[in-house]
Amino acid sequence: MSTVDTIIQRCQGLFDDLNFTYAREWKDADPERKVIGFMPIYVPREIIHAGNMLPLGVLGGGDQLEVIQGDAYYQSYICRIPRSTIELVLTGRLDFVDGMLFPSICDVIRNLSGMLQMIKPGFYAHYYDMPQNYNKDIGGEFYVNELQELRKAMEKIAGHEISDDAIRNSIAVYNENRNLVYKLYAMRAEQPWNIPAAEAYLLMRASMLMPVEEHSQMLVDYMGAVAENERPKKDNCRIVVSGMFCEQPPLNLIKSLEMSGCYVVDDDFMMINRWPTVDIPIDGDPIANLSHSFLNHSLKTSATYEPEEEEKGKYLVEAVTKSAAEGVIFAAPSFCDPALLERPMLQDALNAANIPYTAFKYSENSGQMQPIREQAGTFADSIKLWGDQS
Amino acid sequence: MITTAGIDIGTGAVKVALFKSDGDKTEWINKRTERIRQRDPYELTKSAYEEVLKESGMTPEDVHYLATTGEGESITYSTGHFYSMTTHARGAIYLDPDTRAVLDIGALHGRAIRTDERGKVLSYKMTSQCASGSGQFLENIARYLGISQDEVGELSQQADDPEIVSSICAVLAETDVINMVSRGISTSNILKGIHLSMAGRLAKLLKSIKATEGVVMATGGLALDTGLLAALREEMEKEKVELEAKSSPDSIYAGAIGAALWGAFRYQKLAELDKLAKAS
Repeated sequence: MSTVDTIIQRCQGLFDDLNFTYAREWKDADPERKVIGFMPIYVPREIIHAGNMLPLGVLGGGDQLEVIQGDAYYQSYICRIPRSTIELVLTGRLDFVDGMLFPSICDVIRNLSGMLQMIKPGFYAHYYDMPQNYNKDIGGEFYVNELQELRKAMEKIAGHEISDDAIRNSIAVYNENRNLVYKLYAMRAEQPWNIPAAEAYLLMRASMLMPVEEHSQMLVDYMGAVAENERPKKDNCRIVVSGMFCEQPPLNLIKSLEMSGCYVVDDDFMMINRWPTVDIPIDGDPIANLSHSFLNHSLKTSATYEPEEEEKGKYLVEAVTKSAAEGVIFAAPSFCDPALLERPMLQDALNAANIPYTAFKYSENSGQMQPIREQAGTFADSIKLWGDQS
Repeated sequence: MITTAGIDIGTGAVKVALFKSDGDKTEWINKRTERIRQRDPYELTKSAYEEVLKESGMTPEDVHYLATTGEGESITYSTGHFYSMTTHARGAIYLDPDTRAVLDIGALHGRAIRTDERGKVLSYKMTSQCASGSGQFLENIARYLGISQDEVGELSQQADDPEIVSSICAVLAETDVINMVSRGISTSNILKGIHLSMAGRLAKLLKSIKATEGVVMATGGLALDTGLLAALREEMEKEKVELEAKSSPDSIYAGAIGAALWGAFRYQKLAELDKLAKAS
């Protein structure tokens, strides 16, 4: 039987491996298999999976990759994830990948798709556009076309047709995985001392690097092992972290938050794992279902367009309420447009709901945790001691 | 009546304080300091804590809230952790209720904290340059000069013509001291020069946090250095910081005291909120 430690060690091994050995081995096991890389924050993995291909989450190089060539492609005022992704490409670490998807999260990621097209002519580097208009007849129609285009491209790479039934089957597989992820998040909100933030994070990262069926089993095993592994409960405050949905923080940063006296009870790490918020129907037209789901049941984030001003930040207030959190830590990568431009509006929503917050920035290779511990620690103290008075 | 303990793991020493509390009434029942001296601070902490409990006729189960501070976040058997500024402010208020500012002068850095009468931190500032303003630096210099740390304060106060050292860099400051020794400058004047240099930085920190009334309580490992305190009073006068600089024989325990008292506060608060299980 797997223990918490063995599962987390496996996740840590996958996380540390910048050569993606496990995904390479998966591909090498069958000449028919292909691997499709994708960047944050969302792509319809169901279509890739339906083509017997592995969706591989590429989330930059972290704090262990020295960026040498990647810096030449971007100005100094651009975040670090595109530089380290270029570095991964130029150093051959992604040479086994058969295509890459770049969702429309920001201009930088969009431009990264163009960079890849220039660096690797003929390679499938696709800017994956998502609708900003959620009207069925406008955004809906656009998105169905986008999904069909993606399906055709995946069929070309896979070398065979991707049937509706295959997509329906993949939708069911991902529904199951998503339900397990939601269960894990609920379990953590209930008992954050038993599911440390770093472990939850590593489990979410593992989903980027392995077949979804295997990840689902891993989640089942982990939750079973956690139930047998009661850990000491600390008098920590409960916080939601917001802003870490694209460029990833160093693992030590996540650990530092907890060491400073904060239990993370909700977050926006690897949002694709909880996207959409309800099961996608497996009956009927699967492409229409994927489109409908995106338009109506997408996870809210500052990286997606919100047309109604009064709705801004509502999701964050709801996340705090639902997880019984006592405050919010805004932690965003330096120069992250989606996170930093939205933050004042999110802060307004928190102010209106009388929810305390603090904010800092990081980059994926941040090394100095002392200032972050100091800030998070004093924030935790202020909530624990003065939360109900000024 | 509840029992709480505070553990403060600093760079140079581990401090443990044990309290009994009943509402606003508090009784300090035991304490212990252990210099780390290249030993494992966590093993040292455990033995110091167990010793304090044993001397007090208690077991860990008798402690309602064990709070850590300083570098104590990783201690698995604690109930909660409070950040150093929070605990030093509360500890200083305990040592002198008129405290409205704290100078935490430890082995690695100095920090000025402004607090209100409840121990709530209102603002703070830390030394940003290197270790020349720290206890570790002073300890090294004492060793080079061949004197014990206990002698530093008294010798400094005997100075008649102090020689100022670099306040920017520990390496430069040590070079200054070597030059002074070879020039035949007396130990007293060297020590007073170092104290004035450190005090000058601390006085500037106090000025920057806009502390304007009450007592400034020195805490941390250097709080009992009478020479440094005398130099601090001189420098505060120069900087026009009109506070009364004090230290207490128990200043080194300020962090541990604050942790224990905040632990009691937190325990009572959780009891009121009916969330005691959280702190068990």
